[in-house]
Amino acid sequence: MTTLFYLLAYAALIGFIFFAVTKVRGYLTSSPLHVRWELYPVPHEGKKAAYGGSFMDEKEWWTKGRHVSHMGDLIALLKEVLFLEATYHHNKPLWIRTYPFHLGMYMMMGGIMVVMFAVFLKFCGVSDANGFMIFIANVINAISLLGLLGTVGGGISLIYRRVSDPGLSKYSSGEQYFNLAAFVVFAIFGLAAWATQPSFFAMGRDFMYNMVTFNFQPLVSSPFAIHLFLGFFLMIWVPLTNMQHLIYKYFTYHDIRWGDMPTNYSEANQKKIQEALQLKPTWSADHIAGDGVKTWVDIATTNPAAPKK
Amino acid sequence: MNKDLKITDVSNVEGQLVSIDINDLPKLPIDEVPFPWKPVTEEQKQKTCCILDEVNVLNIPRPQTPQEEEEMVNKFLTGLRKLFTTENNWTCLPMLQTSMDCCVQCNSCSEACHLYECSGQNEMYRPNYRSEIFRRIYKQYVKKEPFAKWRYGDMNLNWKTVARLAELSYRCNLCRRCAQVCPIGVDNGLIARELRKLFSQELGWYPPELHQKGTMNQLKVGSSTGMTPSVVQDNVSFIDEDYTEITGVGIETPFDKKDADILLIHNAGEIMAWPDNVAAFSLIFNKAGLSWTLSSEACAYDGVNYGVFYDDAQLARLALLHMQAAKKLGVKKIVIGECGHAHKAMTVIADRVIPYEMQVPRESCYVTLRDIVMSGKLELDPSRNNFPVTLHDPCNIVRLMGIVEPQREILRKIAPQFREMPCHGVDNYCCGGGSGFAIMTRNNVEPWRNNISGRKKMQQICAAFADCLGPETKKYICAPCSNCKGQIREILEHHDLYTKNSFAYAGLVELICNAMPDVAPGSFIHWEGAEDE
Repeated sequence: MTTLFYLLAYAALIGFIFFAVTKVRGYLTSSPLHVRWELYPVPHEGKKAAYGGSFMDEKEWWTKGRHVSHMGDLIALLKEVLFLEATYHHNKPLWIRTYPFHLGMYMMMGGIMVVMFAVFLKFCGVSDANGFMIFIANVINAISLLGLLGTVGGGISLIYRRVSDPGLSKYSSGEQYFNLAAFVVFAIFGLAAWATQPSFFAMGRDFMYNMVTFNFQPLVSSPFAIHLFLGFFLMIWVPLTNMQHLIYKYFTYHDIRWGDMPTNYSEANQKKIQEALQLKPTWSADHIAGDGVKTWVDIATTNPAAPKK
Repeated sequence: MNKDLKITDVSNVEGQLVSIDINDLPKLPIDEVPFPWKPVTEEQKQKTCCILDEVNVLNIPRPQTPQEEEEMVNKFLTGLRKLFTTENNWTCLPMLQTSMDCCVQCNSCSEACHLYECSGQNEMYRPNYRSEIFRRIYKQYVKKEPFAKWRYGDMNLNWKTVARLAELSYRCNLCRRCAQVCPIGVDNGLIARELRKLFSQELGWYPPELHQKGTMNQLKVGSSTGMTPSVVQDNVSFIDEDYTEITGVGIETPFDKKDADILLIHNAGEIMAWPDNVAAFSLIFNKAGLSWTLSSEACAYDGVNYGVFYDDAQLARLALLHMQAAKKLGVKKIVIGECGHAHKAMTVIADRVIPYEMQVPRESCYVTLRDIVMSGKLELDPSRNNFPVTLHDPCNIVRLMGIVEPQREILRKIAPQFREMPCHGVDNYCCGGGSGFAIMTRNNVEPWRNNISGRKKMQQICAAFADCLGPETKKYICAPCSNCKGQIREILEHHDLYTKNSFAYAGLVELICNAMPDVAPGSFIHWEGAEDE
């Protein structure tokens, strides 16, 4: 049984990576090059970003070098990821509920990174009694508690909002309640483990150490085992639901909303346009009459309003 | 009929799904009465699918037999499958896929939508209402995901669903204000356009103003206005003569000047409806000493490209003709006149649709005009524009292209009483005529624009002029976009706001010309009853 539990952990990790890679690959291969669909403000526009300006407000912009403020993109990305800035500005009643929920998960995800580091230190021979290791343990125990509380509080609050707001309840499917409830239950078992064991950090680190060393030791806490089991499920489930925005948000911002690269600056894009125009559509309306043989070039260079010969 | 509208009602309810009570509409601080809806006739009900609301944009033939109903659904599903393939939809598939998969139904988009707000928060106008119907159909009938009904919500698919979804795709101005506020990057405006595209490219359903009278007419004779190359040259020649007389300054518009620096492409609607705009451009460009020309090549004297509203093939055809004409003349750049959707189609969208070798650089007229005004090439007297002026930001140029400051730099220089509307710049609201509605006047589209889609813009205009709303102060609404002007003109005319509130409207170039000391006063800006004073 213990071995099976560890195998599930590996499966969850592999499953998450597999589905995440599949999603990213699906996005990248869905088109050689989509049309520009930017929305301003675009944060890499430097000072112009403050009012939503763009390179296109300069005279003969194509004669100038392309200037992209990567720092602007990075700051905007961090503000959005860390503070959910868009929700804060445009939907405060939601932000009050969803921010603790997201922050809670960030704390737990960040905590996992730190625990991995602690496992590395253990490999390096750093003992549990080492002052730095004790410091890490205290930090993890604190942020895991906050993270779990945030997830439970935020999750329940989000469920309540969906139920009580008539505008939202119409748009809430069974899965949406299930997803939120799954996170809440996951966090409740985490809290139970936190409250009943001397160190949440030690449980997490030991489990991860055992995974890395293939030493399938039984877990000391049943609530912690259930907490982990639900975590394995969520790792596989998240990329299959609308929570896949975790993966896609990079693209919806960087590639779509901020994807303003003009073709004159990109030889790669110039080639991709040619590639796309060779695709053969099958749209049936009379003015297109796509037959799967004609390319987009053929269609664009045909005038459906010209007198019939 | 609509107080507790549910998503599934789109398939299950018989007859008209929604009715907007004009008494529910937000009030404006001006003397206006919402338009009553014209009743839908029995003949219309028999022949067309007028089953969504009072408006009927598409005139979809009503299926008369169960076989026809089934055929309608099957064609729709065939088109839907094509919409999610690379070869059919390489232009937009990544954006569509993310918008289908990532929405968490938080409804942040609703508050951003002027149609939702100005319909009295009618459920049908939530940007997500249409998207969610579409999403459920896609997951249940195309992807056939296990447990789709539980996971995404049930959706019965029948001819009523298809017909209402098609009409719903035309209850959106495609302004993408909703997309701007989405924390995830879901784009309901894109979904509306993708639906329009599906219906046009697969089923041949489109508004006649956009297709037969729009893109097809443009491809046939050269302009959606119906003007042929010879007619357009004659008309512009008349404009030159008229405005030479009116202004007292010589105006001459060059055509087909080989190797000029600039090919100026107007929205040809200006030539027909606002000749002062065409004359103003000619006057400014000539006075600034620019090397420029118009083209008499079919399509190249009309920057309109309605394909951007509903159809990728038509979009590509027209964008290609614009580029080819510029190449033929050997100009260094195209300058796009005061037309928002022409800006976006020619500059942003064409950039990845037309092969790079065939492209000619494109510049917004706002930028060209800013350069002229700020360079000091023109003698300008701002005191001639000493009246309250506010600026409308066309969505296509501002939110979707980031051209925000050039027009403001000009106004700050030439209009001493310039003031912003609330929610300006990239946060602006659509004029109400966006995505093709400005040119539609039938089947209650006109009342719809007055009652719902144009209401927010009028609210903004009133707020900008809150300190001087009465008739004693002449006020100027600067709307540098042809479609936006058409929409604003209609609201001012129908409610007689020219007289009641002393509003005048026009573009940016008219205001620049009005500041020219040698131009006869009143040549370009005119208030109702001004002659009587």
